[in-house]
Amino acid sequence: MLGYVAIGIPCGILCDSIGLGPLEVVMMSVLFYSGAGQFMIPNMWLAGSPLASIILSVSLVNTRQMLYSASFAPQCAGVSKRLAFLFAATVTDESYGVNTACFEEGGWSVDRAFLVNVFSQSSWTLSNVVGVLVGGAIGIPLAIASFAMTSIFICLLVTQKITFENVVAALTAMAGVFACKAIGLTGPAILVGAVVGVVAAMLVGGARRRAKGGGA
Amino acid sequence: MSWTDFLIVFACCALTMLACRVIPLFALKGRSLPEGIERALGYIPPAAFAALVANDLLTPGMFDAGLWPAAAPLIASLAVVVVAVKSKSLLWSAVTGVAAYALLTLL
Repeated sequence: MLGYVAIGIPCGILCDSIGLGPLEVVMMSVLFYSGAGQFMIPNMWLAGSPLASIILSVSLVNTRQMLYSASFAPQCAGVSKRLAFLFAATVTDESYGVNTACFEEGGWSVDRAFLVNVFSQSSWTLSNVVGVLVGGAIGIPLAIASFAMTSIFICLLVTQKITFENVVAALTAMAGVFACKAIGLTGPAILVGAVVGVVAAMLVGGARRRAKGGGA
Repeated sequence: MSWTDFLIVFACCALTMLACRVIPLFALKGRSLPEGIERALGYIPPAAFAALVANDLLTPGMFDAGLWPAAAPLIASLAVVVVAVKSKSLLWSAVTGVAAYALLTLL
């Protein structure tokens, strides 16, 4: 939960820098609730990305939640629809990790897992509001606050499973971003790079499975 | 950012997020995803995070004005990689990154 404070305050400072107020930040933290997404929106806005590019890039990054959601389906089979919905809607990268570990150990239930999510979300929302309120006052240079986000993305990247296909995906995505920027497509660079990376990994993965004779 | 722009971005992002979080859990009812889709979804995090990192760190011509201070974020990133691999903690990665970057640029 301390992790949310350390990330939430810089996130609030960034949101303040693009002119968002406490109300907007609370709306985002409660109804959108995505560390990566809430950093991406002010950062891409500052970089001059068009709205459509921001929405598509954030939505693409959102799709990783489908994997988390699918993985909790067995645990939610026996619980009420309302609890399953509330739990599913509040899963994040970090609380996914915590809850998956607890479910594996056993003796864990969906209502306890939902409580973990609620505590996480509360500390996230509060620290974002603190960030917005102190944003202008303490004058931390923007480049330093936004490096908190870069660091988080690096951490999320290097803690991915290291498989051949994932390395291909990551490297081609980076090359794609660089190439986009080189030809002046700064706005959609993240989206294009990520899609190029996924396609490259699927092609390479498919070719490797065929080479092993396992079929598609 | 104006209220109109904010509401457009916020509503779209919140809706796709809710859909991604809730639909698979209810649609599957305990079954697992088709293998092909699961594989493609699995490639999104490494590709997306790599793209985000590259977008923050790499710019064509970034060393045109000399190696320093352009190398500062790259060196801070290396420190983050070491801490992230060892601790697997978002908190320590963020603290390390901000501290290293602040030290390097303010020196």
